[in-house]
This record gives sequence, structure tokens and C-alpha cells, in this order.
Amino acid sequence: MIIEFLQMGGYGFFVWASFFIVTVSCLFLYYRARKTLKKYEKEFVKELESLPIKHKKRITKSSKVIGSILASQNKLS
Amino acid sequence: MLTKKIKTRLSFLISIILITLCFLIFIYFNLKQNILYFKTPSEIFINNQIKENSMIRVGGMVKKDSIRQNNKEIRFILTDYKKELIVVYSGTVPNLFSEEQGAVVEGVLNDKKYLIADRILAKHDENYMPPQMKKILKENAK
Amino acid sequence: MDLFSFGNVIVYVNKLIKFINSIFFVILIIGLSFALIFSPVDYLQGDTVRIMYVHVPSAWIGISIFSLIAISSILNFVFKIKNLFLIVKSLAPIGLLFTCLSIVTGSLWGKPTWGTWWAWDARLTSMFMLMVFYILFIFSFKYFKNKEYLPKILTALSILGIINIPIIKYSVEWWSTLHQPASIKFTGTSSIHSSMLIPLFLMLLALLLYCALIFLMKYKTEIIKIKKQNIKRL
Repeated sequence: MIIEFLQMGGYGFFVWASFFIVTVSCLFLYYRARKTLKKYEKEFVKELESLPIKHKKRITKSSKVIGSILASQNKLS
Repeated sequence: MLTKKIKTRLSFLISIILITLCFLIFIYFNLKQNILYFKTPSEIFINNQIKENSMIRVGGMVKKDSIRQNNKEIRFILTDYKKELIVVYSGTVPNLFSEEQGAVVEGVLNDKKYLIADRILAKHDENYMPPQMKKILKENAK
Repeated sequence: MDLFSFGNVIVYVNKLIKFINSIFFVILIIGLSFALIFSPVDYLQGDTVRIMYVHVPSAWIGISIFSLIAISSILNFVFKIKNLFLIVKSLAPIGLLFTCLSIVTGSLWGKPTWGTWWAWDARLTSMFMLMVFYILFIFSFKYFKNKEYLPKILTALSILGIINIPIIKYSVEWWSTLHQPASIKFTGTSSIHSSMLIPLFLMLLALLLYCALIFLMKYKTEIIKIKKQNIKRL
């Protein structure tokens, strides 16, 4: 029964190849997007750390963007 | 309201649109014949510009009970329900090629009624349904 | 206006990413099981009809994302809205991916049914043109960093590309093509049996959710990039 399912009435190659290609390329784009996102978050935090403490505290409080980036970074570490 | 800057940008935009439209219309009228992927048998019959012994693509339905096959070649009639064209072909046909189905043949026109094909493509319609459904439709048609 | 400030947007983005992550796999698994197991075979094409469940949604997504980014970049050119530019930049790669996927899966569908991988008929050629426009779009992001030229180039590409969209849609009706006419129309009944429509729309939903996820991630990246540049000025 499983072999029958894999064969897809003789068209198995075409059906499985198309689903496989879609899955793989979607996974690839997801991986790429995630990697760049993480990279920029990390760089951003580094930049933030290099600022003087007073300045850092002030902008962390005022900006939601920085708050959320720090939160996602803390979750990782 | 719209500032002057925006107005200049809009005029730039409209000029681009007009230029592209002119360009496209020009292309369209030059390529009109090439856009058509295939001709129908009646177009071949009417059109005097189509020369014999030239490569051509013809599309239509395979006439019912017209497929004659021997071990060397396959021979069938392609029709658009007005004019008919006899097609001779040696080689393997696509899986979906059968009677009362669409087909596109590529080959050399011998005369206006006879074509020696190099390649056959099957063309299917936009209806998708399970086999049981087709059976019911067929029985209803009877 | 404050509603669209980056600070508020990023909160929505994070919430949406979480939401999509929670439902995506459920819908994907339901969609795939319908597409590969529960849906019936076609009376004529047999099992190859299953390729439709990835081919058709990819083509729709490719076309609609292009319409979106073309309109957005024209609006951005006229009114200079920074957010629109970021949206275009984040959407373009997703659209390119799905256009390429629809071409590849289409060719995998064409071989067993038509008997050829590729034919230069009007539908396939115009879809190929769409892919070229996407590539030009993405290249102009990479190579024209100049703020003067980039919107102009993007606008010109958008106009050319958006004329291509109705050509794709109506190519199968205006000219004789190898590709069959549209099965699902805006008006009137569809010529796909309902048992095949279920997996089609489930897969469309799954792929749309995937697109939204990637878009949100890319959009967030762009916001962080901008914030990083401005960090000293805050």
C-alpha cells in the first residue's frame, strides 16, 4: 500500500519532485531570513552595549523596538 | 493637498506610462502572429500565406475513431469541427493523447490537408474531477 | 500616525509571528494530507493533478505579490512613504521564490501531461517575464543604492511589470496557448470539483501563512537595520 502511495499511479517522480522542491526552497528561504534577523539583532545589541550607560538606559526605556529586541536576545542566552 | 513636488513626480509617472503603452502596442502589432502558439485547421485552409513544406504548429481535437496505428507510424485526424487535417507521426505520443482530446502537433505541412509531425503535445481542458464524477456525467449525457 | 511608528509596528509584528507559528503546522499538515492522500485522482490526468495543489497557489502568490509591490513602489515614488519602501524590499524575494516555484512545478506537471517541459506559449512566456521583472527588481535594490535613482527605476519596472499582470491572466483567453484556460474565475462557477478545491485552498492558506511569516521576519530585520543606523541620534 505504501509503495502504491509512493508510486502515485506511475507519476510518483513528478508529484514527489514538485512537493520536494517546494518544501526545500521554502525551508531555505526561512533559514536565510531567520539567520539575517538573528545577525542584525546581535549586531544591534553589541552596538547598544558600546554606548555610554546613561544614554543606553534612556533609549532603552523610550524605544519599544529596542525593548523587544533585547527581550528576544535575552530569551536566547 | 498635492504639493508641487508630488505633481512633478505624477507627471513623470504618467509620461512613463504613456511611453510604455506606445511601446507595447508597437510590439503587439509586430508579434501578433507569433503570440499564437498554434493555428487551427481552418486557419490553415483559409490563410494563403502559409507555405507548404514549412514548419508549423496546429492545434485541435483528435477526431473520434480516427486513430490508425501500425508498428511504424500513427495516423489520425485533427479537427476544429469545421476543417480536418490528416496527421502522420512516428514516435511516442504523450500519455494524455487520445481520441476526443486536444492535441498540438508540430511539423511540416505537405499540403493543406496533410501534415507530417515531428512532435505531438497533448492539450487538456480546465475541468478537473474524480473518475466517478466523470462516469456520472457520461451516463447523464446518454 | 503614531500607530505606524516603528515601536508600535514591531510589537504587532512579534505578536503576529507568534500567532502564525502556533497555527502554521496544523494547517500545513491538514493541507498536505488532503493534497496527497484524501483528494481523489483526476479522471484524465490521474495522480499528476496533485501537482496543482502547489503549482496554482504559487502562481497566484507570485502574481499578487508583484501587483502589491508594483503599486507600493509607485505610491512610494509619488508620496515618499518610507514604510512602503521597506514592505517592497521585504516582499520581493518571497514573490520571486513563488514565481520560480510555479514555473518549476508547472514544468514538472507539463512533462507527464502535455509531453514537454516547456513551450513558448503566451501564458508560459508571460510568467517567465514576471520572473525576469522580479529579478530586475531585486538587482536594482542591490546595485542602485542611490536614493535619487532607485525609486525612479523601481517605478519604471513596476509599470512595465504591472502591464504584464493582465497579460498573464488573460493570455489563455486572448490567444491560443498550450496552457489550459483558467479553472477558477472571479465570476461564475469553477470547473474544479469541490473535492479538489478543499486541498487547493488549504494549501493556499498554508503557503500564504508561510509568506506572511517570512515577510514579517524580513520586515523586522529592515526596522532593526534602520534603528541601528540611528542609534546614536536617539
